[in-house]
Amino acid sequence: MSFELLLGAWVATGLTLFIFTFLYEDNPLFKLAEHLYVGISVGYAIVKTYDTVVIRLIYEPMVKQGDWSLLIPLAIGMLMLARYVPKATWMSRIAFAFIVGVGSGLAIPRVVSSFILKQVEDTVRPLASMVQGNPTFSFSLADPASNLNAIILLVGVVSVLFYFFFSIEHKGPVQVAARTGILFLMIAFGAAFGYTVMARMSLLIGRLTDLIEYAGPSYGRPSLWLAAVTVVGLVLWSMKRRPQTEPTEE
Amino acid sequence: MTFAERMLKIDRRIIFAVIGLCTLLPLLYPVGLAIRISPEVKAVHDYIESLPEGSVFLLSLDFDPASKPELYPQAVALLRHAFKHNLRVIGMTLWLPGTGMANEVITRIAEEQGKVNGKDYVFLGWSPGGSSVIINMGQDLYKAFPTDYGNQPTKGLAVLNGVQNLRDVSYVVSLAAGTTGIETWYVFGKDKYKFELGGGCTGVIAPGLYPLLRSGQINGLIGGLRGAAEYEVLIGQKGRAVAGMDAQSVTHFAIIVLVILCNVFYLSIRKARQAQGQGGHS
Amino acid sequence: MIFFRRQLPLLITLVTGIVFAAQYYVPHPASEEMLTTVTKWLQIIGGFALVLGVTSLFHIHAVKIRRKEPGWGYSFVLYAAMLGTIAVGLWREGKETVNGGMTAFGWIYNFMMVPLQGTMFAILAFFIASAAYRSFRARSREAAVLLIAAIIVMMGRVPLGEYLVPISGDITQWILNVLNASVRRAILIGVSLGAVALSLKIIFGVERAYLGGGKE
Repeated sequence: MSFELLLGAWVATGLTLFIFTFLYEDNPLFKLAEHLYVGISVGYAIVKTYDTVVIRLIYEPMVKQGDWSLLIPLAIGMLMLARYVPKATWMSRIAFAFIVGVGSGLAIPRVVSSFILKQVEDTVRPLASMVQGNPTFSFSLADPASNLNAIILLVGVVSVLFYFFFSIEHKGPVQVAARTGILFLMIAFGAAFGYTVMARMSLLIGRLTDLIEYAGPSYGRPSLWLAAVTVVGLVLWSMKRRPQTEPTEE
Repeated sequence: MTFAERMLKIDRRIIFAVIGLCTLLPLLYPVGLAIRISPEVKAVHDYIESLPEGSVFLLSLDFDPASKPELYPQAVALLRHAFKHNLRVIGMTLWLPGTGMANEVITRIAEEQGKVNGKDYVFLGWSPGGSSVIINMGQDLYKAFPTDYGNQPTKGLAVLNGVQNLRDVSYVVSLAAGTTGIETWYVFGKDKYKFELGGGCTGVIAPGLYPLLRSGQINGLIGGLRGAAEYEVLIGQKGRAVAGMDAQSVTHFAIIVLVILCNVFYLSIRKARQAQGQGGHS
Repeated sequence: MIFFRRQLPLLITLVTGIVFAAQYYVPHPASEEMLTTVTKWLQIIGGFALVLGVTSLFHIHAVKIRRKEPGWGYSFVLYAAMLGTIAVGLWREGKETVNGGMTAFGWIYNFMMVPLQGTMFAILAFFIASAAYRSFRARSREAAVLLIAAIIVMMGRVPLGEYLVPISGDITQWILNVLNASVRRAILIGVSLGAVALSLKIIFGVERAYLGGGKE
């Protein structure tokens, strides 16, 4: 096993265990790991941004391939940085206006097409085929594309939309629709909670799988040794803290 | 304090210890229960199976190390399947922190399957802008990525032969952990450039993608570690995802038991208070 | 001067917004060429926006160290880690691998950044369990419905649940594909309508918060 892999296994295990100590109590080991995390993440982002944006997107095409039209976005980008110069802040507004204008313009027709028209079309189309004289009505709950499920889907969509329509008072038939909407919403939130639990547990399973791999003899069992060191460190730290909370009496 | 009240106020570190054990023990002593395949995962698998050899498959690894346990196994399974099926693979990412990870997984699996960089696969890397990158690729792939991650020019690469933009890609799968993911690929990509789109995602965002699945805007969805496990079973090569399923089972049941217990204690406290209240009035 | 500070940005937003909204419906090669060019520009400008975001973080912690506020030692660690990563990254020209071998920059990424970020999010598993135990109570009928749906889905999505109660898998699929899909569809339509309305307000200058504060 190469030295860098061995060192890497020990460092990764140590940092993982330091973060796990937060489960006992907020302590210096956790704070150290937390600040390392932020520092390294920001450092990585800076290096990648510099390499991709400055070198590969601007410098190389402009200087090595002679694409000088890129001076325009470069100028707009520089205008954005004027935000930090108090007297020149207004110049950055031009840059933001450009970005926001283009972004909004690009988004509007695409969002309308994808998330409004297509979604409404898919809610209504199964019903249209039912009305057009199709003799069989499929009752299967197991098949999401069955006619029964299409009706349930329509009821769900309409009732939830009614629930979120706060401009009219929820009385009478509107209240019936809104209450139905709440029922559908609760089921959907329950499903979302179930999936969130699944996701979080998966993250923990992933980290523990790594720790178990690093408990192997070929790495020198860092998981076991460092777990012992961390526990001892935590115990010493909590013992050192306690005498300071006792008041001294004169 | 009654027993129920004491139990509800229990030190949370005991619950942490319970969850820790429920996760660790099944990982050390797995049982290996059978995993049922869901239609949405099968749809992605069957579509890749149906593509002719040499078709272009684009895998966008839109996640960061925080979502690695769920989405990395999906990436491994999809890449193994695509390479075994002799598809031309284009890899990329829209998430900056995930770039190193994306590069590592594509290079490693390609080497494992005996594939050559530039001829069978290419990793384009990351570019800022999210939706702008997708539109740019849809207009002209070589303008969006003039070089690949290793700084070799993309124009002239054998793997990109006949590919001018996203319209020439047979299948795009986005493995997403949040915003700038599957929805972005649809809205700014498939809506105009009409390629087939599939998705893989974390458990947190999976329920929100079902409307797109139902309308056919995405042809399949691999949800979380469970989805990755199903895909591993389908390609006949079990890996980390299947190994984690037993721990997943036990932790879920632990949470169910905790929630039921919490409600049992809560209801008993409520009943006792109601009885006390009635006793006071009589 | 007032024109430059106030009206010009609004005019730019109006013109660019209308031009690019209309571009979607114009298949002429010139319009497509404009789209290609401007989206390329957006990538470059997006990179500058990243620089902006990162600079503010730099600033906050620099102030903390300078003022020697409590906990400034940790800010020093943060700075050292940041500068160290930048130095190694620039030395290795931003490459994690070179000819198949891992660089020092790749080492920092694989053995420090990935485990740190992974574990930060992994500990959430413990907190969700503790929160579920403390507060997931069926106080009302609606909460009871939420609870039951959550339990069915948690059971139906794991092999053990499908083994013990096979129908939980089928019910889970139905909940996800029909009930959940209908709710999410309604939310998606509602949110998209809101987003389109906001975009239109921005383009027509009704909504100006994006321009930020500062002197007019």
